[in-house]
Formats: sequence, structure tokens, C-alpha cells
Amino acid sequence: MRIGFIGLGIMGRPMALNLLRGGHQLTVWARRPESMQPLLDAGASGAASPAALAEQAELVISMVADAPDVEQVMLGENGVASGGQSGLVAVDMSTIRPSAARSIAGRLLAGGIDFLDAPVSGGEVGAVAGTLSIMAGGSTAAFETAQPAFACIGRNIVHVGDSGAGQVAKAANQIVTGVGVLTVAEALNFAARSGVDPARVREALLGGFASSRILENHGQRMLDRNFKPGFKSWMHQKDMNIVMQSAHELGLCLPLAAATAQMFNAMVGSGLGEEDSIAILKLLERLSGGEG
Amino acid sequence: MRLGFIGCGVMGRPMALHLLRGGHRLAVWARREDAMQPWLAAGAVACTSPARVAREAEVVFTVVTADADVKEVVFAPGGLAEGFAAGAILVDMSTIAPQNARSIAGRLAAQGVELLDAPVSGGGQGAIAASLAIMVGGRAAALERVRPLLELLGSTIVHVGDHGAGQVAKACNQMLMVATVEAVAEALHLSRVAGVDPERVRQALAGGSAGSRVLEVMGGRMVARDFAAGVEARLHHKDYAVLIAEAHRLGLPLPVSAQVCQQLNALMALGWGRCDTASLLRVLEAGQPGTGGN
Repeated sequence: MRIGFIGLGIMGRPMALNLLRGGHQLTVWARRPESMQPLLDAGASGAASPAALAEQAELVISMVADAPDVEQVMLGENGVASGGQSGLVAVDMSTIRPSAARSIAGRLLAGGIDFLDAPVSGGEVGAVAGTLSIMAGGSTAAFETAQPAFACIGRNIVHVGDSGAGQVAKAANQIVTGVGVLTVAEALNFAARSGVDPARVREALLGGFASSRILENHGQRMLDRNFKPGFKSWMHQKDMNIVMQSAHELGLCLPLAAATAQMFNAMVGSGLGEEDSIAILKLLERLSGGEG
Repeated sequence: MRLGFIGCGVMGRPMALHLLRGGHRLAVWARREDAMQPWLAAGAVACTSPARVAREAEVVFTVVTADADVKEVVFAPGGLAEGFAAGAILVDMSTIAPQNARSIAGRLAAQGVELLDAPVSGGGQGAIAASLAIMVGGRAAALERVRPLLELLGSTIVHVGDHGAGQVAKACNQMLMVATVEAVAEALHLSRVAGVDPERVRQALAGGSAGSRVLEVMGGRMVARDFAAGVEARLHHKDYAVLIAEAHRLGLPLPVSAQVCQQLNALMALGWGRCDTASLLRVLEAGQPGTGGN
């Protein structure tokens, strides 16, 4: 399949490599030309702009930072919309506000381009291994078209619903993981400050109803004090902001997500933004009069 | 002085009349012509666009709802920016994000126009009584030129700092006020559910360290179950989005504000956006059917 790929950062680069390995004919574009080099070396061709990339493609995929970036590459000057033929399927795999995804979908549809929002979960590890979870929103036809590409980069691939539904699922995912990381950190800090070995507590909890993947994986990394990302705190802060903006738009009461978002604000403000989100433990330690 | 005025809501209407009574010439514009009627009857001159208001005035006041409204009135085709002469002053008394106030100030400065962000506190009552608290951001020289005009509108005028500082102060004002409304609502809800007369509790508290304007006014409304606005809760809901966005931008934890924002989200979902913010009491009751007043 002729695929165009935009955005070759920590997530985008390995995803694009997996598409090449899957036998797809790949054209790439990135804002910084030097980030295209590893892909060109591996056999992809480079495009001069998202528009030029879209001209040659049956499917375009973007993996960029935030909604304004998606708007820019899809609808901006020399964007996908100005080069793409009617019938093109454009897939954005970045994490952005559901309402922004819906608005972009509507504007692309006016030019005959079918848009899927398909954010992922699984981090850099999942991107490299090709085992990302993909949650897609948009038409069934577009989802079917993108399927051969998704198969190269993801494992658990779910068509959640209409336009925006993928981003809603991702936001829900970030509520559960954000609040989850905070509660595991609170529990382990509570144990430690009560004079009990947090490793034993974790082990005990893993057998019961408080067991979870976050307690297992993130909890272990907290015990190891391994704060290397993984998933950087500032990115989780950005995602919690998406959650809180959506709650405000909808008139939704999300007390725990709101508290968690404030903790992520404090992390970024106190210089922990580049560390893994489990560094929320350090923040709790500081707030409890410890070293952190 | 030749003045311009845009915004004829609950706040703007009486404020413009105070300026007229102060002996100033007032050019006005509103989207709906009939909305200007009370002003025209008092001697104001109607214009066909914001640009024409700007052409007629040395100082223009805007009191509109949200960030997008301010930007539109200033920068849309036919907007104020098209009509301003160099040396003019725009006094924006709306409540908007500090960042937007700064960016509007920057764009206007390029054409030699000064912006003062000058949001107010005191509500419709304060606007009518000309007793508003006015918090000003911008250059001191510009403030001194318009100070006699602001004195026609308010009794407390504080130069908080540079561009955006007025809006930061207003965000803090909203933070304290609405968080206190929530605290008063929780206290009175607790009283009622514990089987104690909330009005007696309110009276007892008013004399002590917990006494406040909010306990007096909003607490009074809660006890009387008078939820007609006042200040419509949807405006506080909007202001909290500004607050939470600033916390995110600055990497700043505001744990209590974040919780209050969630209660306001619930208030909106329950359909009380156009009622008074005292309705936060009803949000608590809605979570516990059977505990409400009536």
C-alpha cells in the first residue's frame, strides 16, 4: 500500500519503520528534515511537504504533538488537504481533544478526505515492538482501508465509533492511567511512611482486588526508583488537560481526574516534567515532608 | 471627553449611563439596535460599527462576555482597530484570559493604541451603584488619563501591574469568591442534613472568623432558596476555564480550584447555568436525593 507518514519523533519513527518492514511503500515528511534520514536510509522516500506526500498516497498517517500541529499538517498551507485526492484516507494517531478531532474530520470531509482519529497506547516500547493499542474513530470504510497499516504497528485494534470516538477512548485511558499512577504512588508512599516495606505491600496487593497492571509495572519502577521515561510527565499533563477541557465543554464532574491534573501541573512546575509520570511519587514524598 | 462604549449587558448598561451623566460625549454600538435604546434616550450617539465608535472617541470601553467577543469587537472587519487613531486608549473591562489581554495589547501597541485590561468585581448591583472594584493592568500613564472616568464607575481602582495583571487579579478574585460559595454551600448543607437550622448557623458564623460577604449574600440566598441570578453561574464556569488553563500553562497546582471547577461542571450539567452560583448548594443536594430543601 502507498502510505504517507508525517511526524517522526519518539513514537512516529519506530511506527514508520514497522510499516516499511510490513512491505508498504512509504513516503515520509517531518518538520525537521534530519529526522527523516533514518527512514530514508531504511528505504522510504522523502516528500517536500504534506501536500506533496498526500498526492502520491492512498493513506496518510500523522503522529505529531498536539491539535494545532494536526491542523497545520492536515489543513494548513501545503497541508494534506491541498494535495490529497478525493477518496484519500487520513489517519491522525496523535492524542488531541475529541472536539478538535471532530472539527478536523468535518473540514477534511469537505475536500473528500475521510479522516480517522486513531490515538495509541503502549508508549515507545509498544511503538518499537509493533504492539500498540489503537483506538479508532471514524467511518467503517476508512477503518477498513487503514487496517493493513494498523496491523503492522498495533496489536489490540478497536474501532470505537464515529469521528472523535478514538480520542474519547484515549482520554478515558489517560484518566485511568493518570489516576492509577497517583493512587499506586499514594499507597506505596503511605506504606513506606507508616514504616512498612512498600515492596511487600505491593506483593500482597497484587493477589487481591487492588491488583492492576499499573500496580505491577509502575509500582515496580517506583520501588526501583527508576524514573526514566517511558511516558514523560509533561505529556501526561497535556493529556489530563485534554480530559479537563472536555469535561468543561460537556459539563462533567471528574473530581479525581481534576485532582490528578493538578498534581501533574505541580510536577511540570517543579522540574519533573521530563521524568516518567511515576515521578509523581517524588512529588508526594516532598509534600509529605520527605526528600523526593 | 469623547468616549466610546460597547457592551450593553447587565454590567455595561448602567456603566455607560454613569459616563453620560459625568458629562461625556458617548458613541455606542451594539449588535442589536434596540439594546442601545436606554443609552440613546440619555444622549448617546449610535454608530453602525465598532470602527466608527473608535473614530469618534479618544477612549473606548468594552464590557463583553468572553475572549472571542473581545477579539471580534477589536479585530474583526469593521472592528475597533480599524477606527482607532494613534494615542487612543481601549479600556477592556471584560473578564478574559491574561494571555489574551497581553496579546491584544501587543497588537494594538503596533498601531499606537494603549490597552488597559480593567476587569471589575461587584456584579450588577455594583455597576448600578458605581461602587465596582476595578483591577487594572497596563501602563500607569494610560491609567492616569482614564482614572477620572473609572472613578465614575467604581470606588476601588487598583493599578495591579503591567498588561494582563488586571486579569490575573480578576482570576484570583473569582477563585476566592466561588471557592467560598462552595464552602458556604457545604457548611449549610451539612447543617441541614445534621438536623440543624442552616439560617441559625449562618447567623452564628457571620459574627466570627468565618464571616464574609459571600456567607452574608450568597448564604442568605441559599437559606432563602432564591437561586435567581445575581451573577449567572455559567459566567463563573467560564472564568474557571481561564483559571485551570493558567494553572496548566504555569505548571501550578490549584487543587481546591480544580475541585470547585468540577462542581461548576456538574452545575452546568444539571441545567442551572443561568441561575445564581448559590446553586452550588443544589449540586450537593443532587448527589444525595432526599436531603434538599424543596
